[in-house]
Amino acid sequence: MKKIGYSILSGIILINLLLISSLFIIKSYGLTEEIDAKFGAAPIIDGEIDDSIDEWKTASKNSINLTDLPIDLWVMQDASNLFISIQVDLELSAHNSTEFIGLLISNSSSENQEDFIDAKIVQFSNILTNEFAYLDYFINNTMFLNDTNYHGEGAGKLNGKVSVYEFSIPIKQLLVDGYEEDVILEYENVYALNITYGKTPSYPDGIIKSEIVLIEIFKPLEEEQLFIEVILLVLTIIVFSIVGILSGYYIYKIFKLKEKMERLRS
Amino acid sequence: MSKIPKAQIKDQKSKTKRKSEDTFAYRTVTISTLLSLIFFVVSLLFNTGIISIFVDINLIFDIVNILIKGIAILLFFLFMMISIGNYKEMTGKPLGWKELLLLFILSLGQTLLNYVVFIFTLVGLLLILVYLYLVQEI
Repeated sequence: MKKIGYSILSGIILINLLLISSLFIIKSYGLTEEIDAKFGAAPIIDGEIDDSIDEWKTASKNSINLTDLPIDLWVMQDASNLFISIQVDLELSAHNSTEFIGLLISNSSSENQEDFIDAKIVQFSNILTNEFAYLDYFINNTMFLNDTNYHGEGAGKLNGKVSVYEFSIPIKQLLVDGYEEDVILEYENVYALNITYGKTPSYPDGIIKSEIVLIEIFKPLEEEQLFIEVILLVLTIIVFSIVGILSGYYIYKIFKLKEKMERLRS
Repeated sequence: MSKIPKAQIKDQKSKTKRKSEDTFAYRTVTISTLLSLIFFVVSLLFNTGIISIFVDINLIFDIVNILIKGIAILLFFLFMMISIGNYKEMTGKPLGWKELLLLFILSLGQTLLNYVVFIFTLVGLLLILVYLYLVQEI
C-alpha cells in the first residue's frame, strides 16, 4: 500500500515538474518585442480591413504601447512584400486632424538611432475626410529627406473611432530605381522598426510617441516543406477518419454486447 | 423450514451479484466511451484548426491552446482505454498490447500538425502508461 502511495506521489511530482517547467518561459518586459511575420494573401492597402474576404486573417496580431498609447499591430508577409497594419483606437475627439503613423526602419536589428535610415509615413491632412498622403523618406543624421522614388504603399482611414493605417514594404528588391534610399528587406533577417505617432506633419519633431519592435522576415516555403505539410495534413485527416470509423464500429460492438447480455439473462 | 434448497439460494445470489457487476461494467463502458468521444471531438476541432480562437494572440493563449489540444487527446486516450479494458473484461479477454499500441498511435497521430503538442502529448501518454504499469505491477 505504501509502495502504491510512493508511486502515485512520484508520478504526480513528475507531471507537475514537467508542466511547471513548460511555463518557465522568460517574459522580459524590458526587451524589445520580436514579431515573426506570418505568411498570408496580400491585402489591399486602402486603410480598410475587409473581413468578408478574410483580409489580414493570417497576420501576426499584437497589442503594443507607443509610449502610453495602446495600438494593435498586425504583421504579415508574402514572397515580395511586408504588410503592416496599425490600428489606433481613440475617442473621436482625441484623434488629431493631422495625425500620422510612421515606420522608421533600421537597416538591421540594431536599435541605434543612426541605423534607422528609412521612413514610411501615412500622414493625414484631414482625418475626418480621410485625406492622407503616403510619404517615403531617407533619414540622414535625423534629417528626413524625401526619396527620389517612392517605394511601397501606405494608406489610412478613420473607421468610427479607430484610425487604421496600412503599409506595404517591398522585400528583396534590386538596388535600382532609387532603392539606395531605402532599407532593403532580406529574407531570414530581423529588422528593428520604430513605430511612431504624431499630430503635426513635421519629422522628426512632430513625433510624440514611439516604440521599437523587431520583425523577422521569412523565406517563402520551399516546395519540399509544402509537400511535408501536405503529407502531415493528409496523415492527420487519415488518423481522425480511422478513429471515427473504429469508434463507430466499437459503439456497434457495445450495442451487440448489450443484446448478448440480455439474451443470456432471459 | 424453507422448501428451497440452500444451494439454489446461493446460486441465485451469485447470479444476482454477477448481473449487477455486468450492469455496472456495461455502464462504465458506455460512460467512458461517451467521454472519450467528447474529447475526440474537442481534439478534432482544435488539432485540425477548425477552431482557432487561441492562436496568435499572445504567449498565454498559445500555452492554453497547446494545453487544450494535448489534454483533449490524453483524456481521449485514458477514457477509451478504460472503456476498451472494461469491454474486454466483459467478454472475458484481457486488454492486449496490440490494442494499447493502436490506441497510442491513433492518439499521437492526432498531433501531427503541431510539434509542441506532439511532444506534450507523447510525454503525457508515456506518463499514463508508466503510471498504469506501476499500479498494475504493485
